[in-house]
Amino acid sequence: MKNLKRRKFADKAAHWTITFGGAATVFIILVFFVFIFLEVYPLLKGAKVLKQSTHPLNGEVVSIGVDEQQEIAYSAYKDGDIEFISLSNGHAFKRHHITGLNDSAIASIDNDNNHLVLGTNNGSILKISIDFSESFDKGERTVLPEISEEESVLIDDEKKGIDYITSRGGDTTKVTVAHTEDGRLILKSTETRSTLFGVEERKETKKDITSITAQYSLNQFIPPNSSPSQEGGVGKLKPGTTLAIHNPTNLTEQRNKLEITSLVLDHCMENLYVGTSSGEIFHINIKDKENPFLQEKIKVSNKTVTALCFLLGDVSLIVGDGGGGVNVWMQVRDEKSSSGWFLKKIHTLKSHNAPVLAIAPSKRDKGFVTAASNGTIHLNHATSEQTLLNLETKSIPTAVTFSPKADGILIADSNSKLVQWNISNPHPETSLKTLFGRAWYEGYEKPEFVWQSSGGTDDFEPKLCLIPLIFGTIKGTIYSMIIAVPIGILAALYTSQFLHKTLKTIKPLIEIMAALPSVILGFLAGLWLAPLVERIFPALVIMPFLIILSIATAFYLWKLLPTRLKGRYGYGVETLFLIPFIVGAVYAATQLNVISESLLFGGDYREWLSNILGLKYDQRNAAVVGFTMGFAVIPLIFTISEDAMSNVPHNLVSASLALGATSWQTAIRVVLPTASPGIFSAVMIGFGRAVGETMIVLMATGNTPIMDWNLFNGFRALAANIAVEIPESPVGGTLYRVLFMAALLLFITTFIINTLAEIVRQKMRRRYSKL
Amino acid sequence: MKRFFRTGIPYIWLTAGMLTISLLMIGGLIVLIMLKGLGEFWPHKTVKFTLQNGTVALGEIAKKESVPHKKGSYRTKLKIGNRDIYGMDFKWIDNADIVSEEYPTNVLTFERREWGNMYGSLEGLKQDDRITSVDLEKVPSLLEESQTSFAKIQYLEKKEIGNINYRMEKNRLELKRLSRLQPSGEVQKKIATIKANMDFLEQSYKEKENILTELYNKAKAKEVVVLLADGREKIMPLFQIIRIYAPNKMGVFARIGFYISKIWEFVSGNPREANTEGGIFPAIFGTVMMVMIMSIAVVPLGVLTAVYLREYARDSIIARLVRISVSNLAGVPSIVFGVFGLGFFIYFIGGNIDRLFFSEALPTPTFGTGGILWASLTLALLTVPVVVVATEEGLSSVPISIREGSYALGATKLETLWKVVLPQATPGILTGTILAMARAAGEVAPLMITGVVKLAPSLPLDGHFPYIHLERKFMHLGFHIYDVGFQSPNVEAAIPMVYTTTLVLLFTVLILNLTAIVMRNKLKRKYSTASL
Repeated sequence: MKNLKRRKFADKAAHWTITFGGAATVFIILVFFVFIFLEVYPLLKGAKVLKQSTHPLNGEVVSIGVDEQQEIAYSAYKDGDIEFISLSNGHAFKRHHITGLNDSAIASIDNDNNHLVLGTNNGSILKISIDFSESFDKGERTVLPEISEEESVLIDDEKKGIDYITSRGGDTTKVTVAHTEDGRLILKSTETRSTLFGVEERKETKKDITSITAQYSLNQFIPPNSSPSQEGGVGKLKPGTTLAIHNPTNLTEQRNKLEITSLVLDHCMENLYVGTSSGEIFHINIKDKENPFLQEKIKVSNKTVTALCFLLGDVSLIVGDGGGGVNVWMQVRDEKSSSGWFLKKIHTLKSHNAPVLAIAPSKRDKGFVTAASNGTIHLNHATSEQTLLNLETKSIPTAVTFSPKADGILIADSNSKLVQWNISNPHPETSLKTLFGRAWYEGYEKPEFVWQSSGGTDDFEPKLCLIPLIFGTIKGTIYSMIIAVPIGILAALYTSQFLHKTLKTIKPLIEIMAALPSVILGFLAGLWLAPLVERIFPALVIMPFLIILSIATAFYLWKLLPTRLKGRYGYGVETLFLIPFIVGAVYAATQLNVISESLLFGGDYREWLSNILGLKYDQRNAAVVGFTMGFAVIPLIFTISEDAMSNVPHNLVSASLALGATSWQTAIRVVLPTASPGIFSAVMIGFGRAVGETMIVLMATGNTPIMDWNLFNGFRALAANIAVEIPESPVGGTLYRVLFMAALLLFITTFIINTLAEIVRQKMRRRYSKL
Repeated sequence: MKRFFRTGIPYIWLTAGMLTISLLMIGGLIVLIMLKGLGEFWPHKTVKFTLQNGTVALGEIAKKESVPHKKGSYRTKLKIGNRDIYGMDFKWIDNADIVSEEYPTNVLTFERREWGNMYGSLEGLKQDDRITSVDLEKVPSLLEESQTSFAKIQYLEKKEIGNINYRMEKNRLELKRLSRLQPSGEVQKKIATIKANMDFLEQSYKEKENILTELYNKAKAKEVVVLLADGREKIMPLFQIIRIYAPNKMGVFARIGFYISKIWEFVSGNPREANTEGGIFPAIFGTVMMVMIMSIAVVPLGVLTAVYLREYARDSIIARLVRISVSNLAGVPSIVFGVFGLGFFIYFIGGNIDRLFFSEALPTPTFGTGGILWASLTLALLTVPVVVVATEEGLSSVPISIREGSYALGATKLETLWKVVLPQATPGILTGTILAMARAAGEVAPLMITGVVKLAPSLPLDGHFPYIHLERKFMHLGFHIYDVGFQSPNVEAAIPMVYTTTLVLLFTVLILNLTAIVMRNKLKRKYSTASL
């Protein structure tokens, strides 16, 4: 009795174990999908505020900044003090007065890397740098801010206050452009060169370049009754001409009419952009510091240009206007303009409802923060044209900064408060639009599909558009299907309908072909077939015709052969009989290589291809991949469709034959249509295999992510791309997730294809069972 | 004519042609790999060309072909070796430039540990700054002597010093772990013993190192002087040389013997010169071990699923879901499995294992990086459908009557399954396992990102406790082909090796598949009679 109980228990336990174990595959697929999806999901999520904190400030703020770890913020006050605030407890633990100011106040400020360039209210500029040095003491990390000042330099001899300033400097050259409160624009540059003898040579130029922009104000605003002296000084000016200043003092009265509202200089120190109250931008080329000239003047807005700022890399210009509009402009190549370039609006971001007051670019990517006077703050990304985060404060922001790691936004507001938002913004550059659409990248003439995940420089912007890869996958798949589908299906038709019974062992032979590791095929394709094809390309062109010809010859000879010799097989051994003929045809084709090259392609097929068809020939190209991948897919299509055709019920075939149809008619009109669902699912499964094939594509193409249908150049497919790039992509990074997205795409595609094929096959089975 | 086409016979011939093309393609592929792969180790004759400009070129003929765009002219690709002197292995020679072609019998081929082959004649032996001439007959014994001393050096370097390093690392990690704990008396004591241990190891390391330098000096003392084709002399230490042979003097049996010894070296030796020379033993070992671990994982899962589908599941939703899952697992591209393995096994599971059990080694990952275990598990997922399908086939071929017999005798379902059905279905399970192994042996894409490397410093199985190191990276035949053929700095010289490796892989896969097919056919036959 006890024994029986035990047996029953064991039986029950086994039942559950097996059911559970059986369901494990479902579980695996689910985990598979969910896990990959979870890795992809953050890509499409916006940014998120992790923490908001507010700290008091003491004075009128002109600029703020923060260290890498977001532990210490500083604020520069108008009176020339710099205060350091610990962001963990809000204490202002250090206040430092900038001694070089000598009782003057800060009137304007510009941020150049780690330096702040201050413009004073008495016409001087002063450069200071703020560093955060880390020190370790007994395992504890402390961050100490340090301020170093350079000597102040008088820039405006009239000692007027500087209300806008922009300054860039490298090791040898430093350029500053300042706008004084009475409306003059002053360019100052210092160049240090070491001569042969190691003596440093300094070259300084200071220039009033007001007239470059002022001419327009004169053209527009000069009253008709203005004095003749002014006419003499300015009347000759034409827009776009280089301007030498003849008589600067005469212009003074008119200067204020054209109000300059923002200045920005790029790090090459060649391009100066000046924004005006009339919504225009003056692009002044200062490559030659002696002869700056106006390169372009463009209307960017109907409102005042209130803020100008460069994105990381100093190529794209962010323009904020009085209506709250935020746009990104960029120099785009244009044959029509005299300089070959013109400024074009590239990206439009979500606009504020009030004038944009400040812009802070990210130091990591093409993201930036804009703050408007109504207290709204937007976190944007230029290339993906996304506004990732909308923040709000109750009061007017006066200064804004983006933390160095792009993980925090700080603003100072008119209520003397410092507001800090810790944000999580891991993948600002990806949106469905950048992943699957055209995006306009810096340096491109128009929006394009580009895949370029890594580059040489620090400010390189990864271009992660999956379209070229999807295109490559489709290209490779289609070319391989063109080879595999006819051969696979026709061979299957022959095997199932006409092949002699004793030769049925051929089927496992082809099944073995399916088991060939793709790395072997890829290796042969890349290192043996590709060079061979390059050498005997003309032979390959004539080969199909010769093969058909050889089949015809074989057929003719077979008819001539006396029945006695055909032996006991009769029909069904054609395939063996054909072997020598097809081998002969292939051999003949290779022998005719040179002749056919001169006959068909005039002696050089590469030249012919590029001259007549305009195609470029690469050694590792889509044709080689198509053939090799076709090789890999043929056995799949063959086996499944052969199964479907041999399972067509016999009574159907017999009925057709009995009605007088030939065996070919039966095969085509009865067997093929009946087995068509099976053939369809065979093609689908072959398609799925080709889509996901990695090694062949990796080894037999050049893996260049280009998009054209040329049979003779390479491509980069999704699967091969994953294999190449995922080992080098940091975990959780954007590239890593985008590659997971590529995997997800492959997964979903093959899932749909396989499910479809499976459903069709099951339907077919049911239909057969009814017949 | 029209009527003739209507009979369809020409079309039948066309379809027959397609089948023939498929057959020729597979046959051609196998023949190509066999020709290219088997020829590599046959001792090639060394030819000496005297050219029109008076220079002499000595080497093995690698290839002859017609000059492109120049009718009737041919050129020869000569493997001139001596990479350390000439900078490259191959040289193209226009046949028109060749004045004379001879096969001098005194030319020897020196197979070296570095820089590839050297061709030239032996001038003598240099020892203590004296050059003495040597008999060719004495060369083998000299070589053997240097070979044994090299083996001694290798043993010292790999085994003994490797051992010391291994223990050193273990001690270092233990020390790191202990120093994080609360300092108590016991911990202090342990730290002290470990430090003493490390000192001792340091000491013995120094001793071994001294012995090693001595051995090296001794080995380097004997040098050979080789006269090259262009009259230059090259002196190199004898222990740098693996083999010296005179290909132009060899008889048939000598050639066969040479061939066999080369093949043995290939399958049992370690790779040299960035995998372009030597053997592929670590790759074979890695492949086999990976496939074994994979089988352990995949067989239970696959068999359970198949048993569930065949024996337990009625036509329920779960069963249908399982079927769809299985057929989808079979269709998902292998690279997607690799991505999943990387994300899930390596970074998620491996990362957590590291944090829990190997935190003292962090930030160096232990399981949080590619390794043989993760690669095997990834491939196990990939091959589940193969096992499921074959096992199902095996189970379905067991006639119902046998089951009913068992039930009639009072056996429970489990007993019937365990004692009657499964034993009969074993061939099916084995077929599935073998097919899965074949698939796994040939798969590369998912392995590339889950733990295969081009050169693994140590095998995943060795004499150090716990003997099987599942976290180690490994080498794999398929990846070896990809890596040497496409990423090696000297692809031209490496290609023959790649063909041979390809041949090994191809044979492995073909033999596994053939075994499976034969087994499946036997199974079919056995039960086609039983069910009558």
